[in-house]
Amino acid sequence: MNNTTPASQTQPLEDESKYAASARNFRQNVARDLANDELRSNFRGAMDYLIDKRQSAFSDQDELETLRRQCQLIKQRCLVKLPLLLEQLEQQLTSNGIKVHWAETITQANEIIASIIESKQGKTVVKGKSMVSEETALNDHLEQRDIECLESDMGEYIVQLAHEHPSHIIMPAIHQNKRQVADLFAKNIEGFEHTTDVDALIQQGRKVLREKFCHADVGVSGVNFAVAQTGTLCLVENEGNGRMCTTVPDLHIAITGIEKVVESLNDVPPLLSLLTRSATGQAISTYFNMISHPRQTGEKDGPKEVHLVLLDNGRSQMYSDPELRQTLQCIRCGACMNHCPVYTRIGGHAYGTVYPGPIGKMVSPHMLGLEATTNLPTASSLCGACGEVCPVKIPIPKILLRLREESVKPVGDIPLIMKGQGSGRKPIEASVWKAWAAVHQSPTLYALSMWAVTRARAILPQKLGPWTQARTAPKVAAQTLHERVKLRNSQKQESGNE
Amino acid sequence: MNNARANILSKLHASIGDVDYEKLPQESSYAYASRSRQQQLAHFISQLESNHTQVIKTAASDIPTHISQQLKQRDISRLLYGKETHFSSLIEQVKDNDQQGNNSVQSSIDLVAYDFTIDGNKERLFNEMPASVTTSHSAIAATGTIVLWPTPQEPRTLSLVPPVHFVIVDAKQLFARFEQLINTQQWHNKLPTNIVLVSGPSKTADIQQTLAYGAHGPKELIVLLINSDEI
Ligand code: SF4
Repeated sequence: MNNTTPASQTQPLEDESKYAASARNFRQNVARDLANDELRSNFRGAMDYLIDKRQSAFSDQDELETLRRQCQLIKQRCLVKLPLLLEQLEQQLTSNGIKVHWAETITQANEIIASIIESKQGKTVVKGKSMVSEETALNDHLEQRDIECLESDMGEYIVQLAHEHPSHIIMPAIHQNKRQVADLFAKNIEGFEHTTDVDALIQQGRKVLREKFCHADVGVSGVNFAVAQTGTLCLVENEGNGRMCTTVPDLHIAITGIEKVVESLNDVPPLLSLLTRSATGQAISTYFNMISHPRQTGEKDGPKEVHLVLLDNGRSQMYSDPELRQTLQCIRCGACMNHCPVYTRIGGHAYGTVYPGPIGKMVSPHMLGLEATTNLPTASSLCGACGEVCPVKIPIPKILLRLREESVKPVGDIPLIMKGQGSGRKPIEASVWKAWAAVHQSPTLYALSMWAVTRARAILPQKLGPWTQARTAPKVAAQTLHERVKLRNSQKQESGNE
Repeated sequence: MNNARANILSKLHASIGDVDYEKLPQESSYAYASRSRQQQLAHFISQLESNHTQVIKTAASDIPTHISQQLKQRDISRLLYGKETHFSSLIEQVKDNDQQGNNSVQSSIDLVAYDFTIDGNKERLFNEMPASVTTSHSAIAATGTIVLWPTPQEPRTLSLVPPVHFVIVDAKQLFARFEQLINTQQWHNKLPTNIVLVSGPSKTADIQQTLAYGAHGPKELIVLLINSDEI
């Protein structure tokens, strides 16, 4: 087994997401995971596979670019209208018989879900894949209240058995290979017949999970698009566990971020097409599930009650600034992760956050505060691959730069845009840059300092922290450029005079 | 109750201020090359087949024969179906068809109607129903997709729980693209409890990117495609 559980020696602060502590350990996590060869090859293999799949799904560049532009504009329109659409969504859902709840924080969301379940004396929950419920750490919360919560997406199920969290938003168990999964099943599934054949492994998982679907009191799911016009919850999936969770138990609770609302049914097809193609290269997912009502009179199955929990958790903060607002365009396809050279090397757990990779670096600072995540926006070479593949054209590198800026702003700077703003500011670094700016504004100071640096070249340090770990220190020239040009000109003049 | 709703909405309203929606940039969609009905149908079939789905082209009247043959091949002797649908009387012939079977088969197909509610019948549904057949509402050529529109006669779990799912698709109901279907039929006017777009059997690539079928839903999807106009 590899040791990819989040290294969270530091305890989270009270009322804080458990992921804040593991995000603070970013540097240690990276060192740990870079040293794990098996993990690195699992990620490399998976990313190459996903990059290929996506590429083969977009053979027509013209179509791709038209669709990206269209979807960018759709999401931007829906964001401009966000408060209105949320109200419309609530009204439509309510008149369809679906109950709507609002939560500002993860604690509120968990509390709402737990009390709905308790009011129905629910004891067992099956969960479809939902990254938002990972965000709220719903499983932990329900467990504390004595409610069993079982992940039913194959990848999520594996991750849950291993007491880990997903390392990828689309393929949660991407960090494990089949041998590791077989070992895990052997430890956890009674009567498991040892095999590393993937088909056989899936069939054994299927058996366990079908049993659970059959008996669960509650199904919890995420939402990919919530349509305001019709009050419809849309779910994208391949396995059928999402359909099981939303159809078989008597009670269905969906949870989603407030940015998932779209205006009309017409907005759905282009977004769906880009989502599945960007994520896994599929023209469409095996299932696209559109839920508009709980079970109606005369119908023979389906949940008798359906609830939707709308979660903020930092999203209204993203919304408050026009540049950062673009973060909310995200449709969670995972393409930016698949194409990220940093993600591919350090893997999904090193970030310590629910959402890893470029998308994680953009959203986590809002969810956990910049203090806990100040390292994340810097974990990018700004190569631009993420921005180029993003189906909704979020300028990811630009937003990362902006977050870096927010993190080193003077503390207390107005307007206060982000929680933890300025927490990455180091007094020494700040004074160095102040001095640098002063020197570059005054010709005399500039000349003087250049003269001093060139003369002191012999005694300048050879070790410059991490910079010189794998590089030699840069050597300052013996003379400044000004001096050399002056010298050359005077030599020219002399030779011209001869 | 908390003030979450009011707080979230007031923050959002304050951030966005007054916007003139008329000034939003023009959105334009891609103009897909139009395909003939024949090409659409061919594409539909090839998409489905590349997604591990068996497509049987058939006349409506041959449906019972195909179903009983396929069941026999799989050693399945029970079929769950919905009563009072467009095709139910045809489906009901599966039984007779089987009894008259020319090669003197003793076991006849046990045809079970989904005329019970799921409450109290989950065990039976999960453990005793190896196959089901449903009708479909429409189909989408571009992605090889079948649109299921569950009804009281054909509940949602009918197409979900049994490991083998037969679905009857009429080529007349084929649409080029999803957006076209939504618009032509004005879906926004009234949506049922649930609609599912199905484009293959249940699958997963969650273990080492290796594709495996039958993760939770049907392991096999068998399409009975009626093409009476021979498009
Ligand atoms: S930021 Fe863009 S590429 Fe990344 S997950 Fe979101 S939509 Fe996909």
